[in-house]
Amino acid sequence: MRRPVALLTGAGLVLFLLVILVPFWWIASMSFKTYEQIQFAVSIYVPKPFTWENYVGLWTETRFPLWLRNSLVTALVVTATTTVVASLGGYAVARLRFPGRESVASLILILYLVPPALLFIPLYRVLAELGATNHLSALFLAYPTFTVPFCTWLLIGFFKALPDELEEAALIDGASRATAFLRVLLPLAAPGLVASAIFAFTLSWNEFLYALVFIQDEKSITVPVGLNLLIYGDVFHWGQLMAASVITTIPVVALYVFIHRWMVEGLVAGSVKG
Amino acid sequence: MAVGRTAGVPAVRRRAPSWGRARRREAGTALLFLLPLFILVVGLIIYPFYRAIWLSLTDKLVGYPERFVGLRNYAYLIADDTFHEVVKNSLVFTVASVALKVVTGLAMALVLDNLVRGRNFFRGLFLLPWITSTVIIALTWRWMFDAFPGRGFFNSVLLDMGLLNRPIAFMATPAGAMAAVVVANWWRAFPFFGVSFLAGMQSIPRELYEAASVDGASAGRRFWHITLPGLKHVIIVTTLLSFILTINDFNIIYVMTRGGPGTATQVFATYSYEVAFNQLRWGRGVTISIFAVPLLVIGIALISRYLLRGSR
Repeated sequence: MRRPVALLTGAGLVLFLLVILVPFWWIASMSFKTYEQIQFAVSIYVPKPFTWENYVGLWTETRFPLWLRNSLVTALVVTATTTVVASLGGYAVARLRFPGRESVASLILILYLVPPALLFIPLYRVLAELGATNHLSALFLAYPTFTVPFCTWLLIGFFKALPDELEEAALIDGASRATAFLRVLLPLAAPGLVASAIFAFTLSWNEFLYALVFIQDEKSITVPVGLNLLIYGDVFHWGQLMAASVITTIPVVALYVFIHRWMVEGLVAGSVKG
Repeated sequence: MAVGRTAGVPAVRRRAPSWGRARRREAGTALLFLLPLFILVVGLIIYPFYRAIWLSLTDKLVGYPERFVGLRNYAYLIADDTFHEVVKNSLVFTVASVALKVVTGLAMALVLDNLVRGRNFFRGLFLLPWITSTVIIALTWRWMFDAFPGRGFFNSVLLDMGLLNRPIAFMATPAGAMAAVVVANWWRAFPFFGVSFLAGMQSIPRELYEAASVDGASAGRRFWHITLPGLKHVIIVTTLLSFILTINDFNIIYVMTRGGPGTATQVFATYSYEVAFNQLRWGRGVTISIFAVPLLVIGIALISRYLLRGSR
């Protein structure tokens, strides 16, 4: 009775592993191939000879290091602002009583579901009027429009799950709301804050549409936009592009390995409850 | 509320004034804490949205002042053949990839749920596509479908297996290009479905399965009568969420096909970008994304109903 289920599970596991890993392996192996090896289809599946020349070329011949710096600065600034705004808002909605609390919670959920593709044209106009386009500051302002609703929604859940007694004890001892929030609740919500920060970082790191529309100056573009310049140039730098993909994916994967369990919990919390 | 009706007991006197003050102070703190969020939301989401509606009523061209034209942009698009194709493409793209995601997500969740060891490890590994940059995913799939054997994975494999004698240019035909963008979108998001469904499966009480086994129900019947009904809520929410995100997808299509060949894969977001930034017709460009709003509103209303009900 159990045999067919076990067999099916094993076969399914192998199939899913192939489906998921083949594209990653294709990226990685391409990044270690020489230009000639790719161009003349020599030993298609493995890099032979194995070379680092794409990585060296990417680092010395293109503006990739600059793009990487821009992406990093943007992601860090956005993560910091998002964490502050979302933890304050999430705390207020989860723990304070005030009229219209339910409506604020619904508003946050609705905003989290509004796709960036709806707003890029008017947002571009608003940012242009603020004089913020063509510079990373456009992204500092634009990215919180999707990171903040998402992270606030996530943190409302985390704050709601904390026991009431601790905060009440602090308030009875004469602490103000602000002190109770900073000293008692924030440390307790640390796992939630880390998960939310990593989401904000990843979303900013990978964002493409706003970065493409709001910034034309090649000195201020981020990695995803830069990658597209590598293909639509006159020469096709396949190997370099794949090397760039490897370098860009590593930081996110590293963060993710570190918090994967919390991240999964946060991810599914919204859709599974109830 | 019910106090007044309780016989013999006078309505409870209002609490001491200090309590009311504490309550007002709490509301004040809440306002203060929510202020940064409100500024952001009003300034960078609600105000731009209002501007979008206004722009859609003008004939704004880049470099010219906007002129009010009423519903002319809407009328133009309703009569426009290209826009009809965009609507059709958006729906085909979305329905096909969301359907694929549900089916493979269920299969993935079943496989993980039946694993005796290493479930967390494989769940983490399977989520990798979901955290990888969409641009990188789109570039990779673009090459995997490339006609050139040294770069295109599928052509290399099919040629080596002797199933082809010359490479196929998948991305050059309308149907092939559509299939390619659907596959890339599916690959990126199905692990999210799998993980959500797995969490749903694990919250179904084990006793139900045990009782069914005792009664002699086969694995297939247990799946049909216990697992699927137990997952109903998760499936609905995940599907709606994915529907909203997919129908507004920009990255995958822009990077893989730019809406081509011709307009075969042009969808709401890419067409809106094309009209606004290549043809420089901002009014019309905005109107295209506004046409997706009714679908969006329905999706959002349904999800909110499910999620807010769940959280209370």
